[in-house]
Amino acid sequence: MKKISSYIKDSFITVIILFLSFLVSLIFQHVFEVQEHITTVFVFAVFLISLWTNGYVYGIAAAIIGALAVNYAFTFPFFTLNFTIPVNIISAVIMIVIAVLTSTLTTKIKNHEAVKTEGEKERMRANLLRAVSHDLRTPLTTIYGSASTLLENRETLREEQRIKILQGIKEDSEWLIRIVENLLSITRIDSGKVKIIKTSTVLEELIDSVIIKFKKRYPDQEVEIDIPSDIVVIPMDAILIEQVIINILENAVQHAENMTKLSLRVFILGKQAIFEIKDDGCGISDEQLPNIFTGYYENTGEPPDGQKRNAGIGLSVCATIIKAHGGDISAENIKTGGAVFRFTLMTEDNSDDQ
Amino acid sequence: MTNNKYKILLVEDEGNIRTLVTTILEAEGYQVITAETCLSAVTLYASHLPDLIILDLGLPDKDGIHLLKKVREDSLTPIIILSARTEERDKVEALDMGANDYITKPFGSAELLARVRTALRNGRHSAEVGKFPGGKFKLKDLVIDYDARQVFIGNDEIKLTQTEYNIVAFLSEHCGKMMTYSAIIKAIWGYPDEGGIKKLQVNMANIRRKFGATPGKASYIINELGVGYRMNGERE
Repeated sequence: MKKISSYIKDSFITVIILFLSFLVSLIFQHVFEVQEHITTVFVFAVFLISLWTNGYVYGIAAAIIGALAVNYAFTFPFFTLNFTIPVNIISAVIMIVIAVLTSTLTTKIKNHEAVKTEGEKERMRANLLRAVSHDLRTPLTTIYGSASTLLENRETLREEQRIKILQGIKEDSEWLIRIVENLLSITRIDSGKVKIIKTSTVLEELIDSVIIKFKKRYPDQEVEIDIPSDIVVIPMDAILIEQVIINILENAVQHAENMTKLSLRVFILGKQAIFEIKDDGCGISDEQLPNIFTGYYENTGEPPDGQKRNAGIGLSVCATIIKAHGGDISAENIKTGGAVFRFTLMTEDNSDDQ
Repeated sequence: MTNNKYKILLVEDEGNIRTLVTTILEAEGYQVITAETCLSAVTLYASHLPDLIILDLGLPDKDGIHLLKKVREDSLTPIIILSARTEERDKVEALDMGANDYITKPFGSAELLARVRTALRNGRHSAEVGKFPGGKFKLKDLVIDYDARQVFIGNDEIKLTQTEYNIVAFLSEHCGKMMTYSAIIKAIWGYPDEGGIKKLQVNMANIRRKFGATPGKASYIINELGVGYRMNGERE
């Protein structure tokens, strides 16, 4: 599909530019009565076509058509093909050379860019893998060790010891589940390089679902909610956006020390829906703030061992998801204390229904 | 609540998960039969006629959907899908083919048991509704009078439009069961149509408002993003 549409686009560009150069040449010939610069017009046309299309085909085809056109219509003797005049042959050769050279250069530049972004992606993936493997190892150690302890010391363990170990297993499994959920979200964006599939989602239902899931994990954490009373419909991959909000809320619960209030507010500004998650905890440190959404990917060194308190891959995943939706995400400290995370999504044009 | 007469067929190829689910269910007094492949499940279903089937979709021999289709040819036995797939499309497909509910791995024992209880009750409930058309539906403070087409919460009548009433009544008739968007749209408007989901969403928003539900505290109708709605059976 993509290939066919790019063929159509390239052919279209070629035809349009050739047509325009015919027009310009005609004007030169009949209005200004100049003859000499018509070849230059076609050379320029060939250059542009080679620059704006993919591969060599269009440029060379344009060069041949141009050479024939100049030969046939615009040089003496008019309306005959004449290959005996050296000037005509020279101009034809020049046009073809320009077409080949320009196409080669453009193709080279395009390839170079592709290699560069591919390399960057590869680097990000490697860093993510490193980070995740580390994040997985810590809880797995607990789970593996705990289960072995329970099996081997079945009789000697006291009841409360057993309960403590089992609780550790449960907690660390929950931690693992969250890492895997985040990984799944990323693969959902990466796989096939297809753009994410957006479906019309009612804001109220999204927030409802988020809060129910969040409450399941943190039953004691209140979240103040403030959303517009009108129906707001936002095109999104709801599973992913849900993940974003939960990650940010969870980040607050785990890192905002001394937090007493956590709030989630959504408001509409023009065509944008702005999501705002605010806490009144300890805020984000100055070293962390600049790369809070990318830090984990770019951190090449391993984080200190046993550190479960880092942001994990959660916030990086948030940024990836919001970017894939064409929105913006930001974080800042509030002067009066605490931090605020904001992200934006485009709302749906609602004028055409009902 | 437990009823040791209930027979549950568990179809799951992962040994550890089979052991876990069996242990959870037997501890609650259910009788559990297990199958590792789709084909043996079909045989066991025919010979034991279980009250409930818990079905994993990714089986070694055939997709679990095969068993689902087979069962739905002649029976309403409640089926809960147990799946590692998180994509909504698979859930919707299974629900539209007649599954009553689904539960995504990983899950906790409380969640599993709540779904099992709801599905078993739902099976009985549908049968009752079938037997007595009209009559009344009661769920906590919510009362639906099918004859008078009236809805009450406590003593207050909730004024619903025709469409809103039809949606609420439809969900209540399938109380506890997850109804997909397309299933609801087909039941209410009679035909699938492009703007159907949006019409449904707008009506649902109005119903929520009239029911006084706020995000995170919807008490009667639960929404599952990208899948559908369910009248809350028992789940806490």
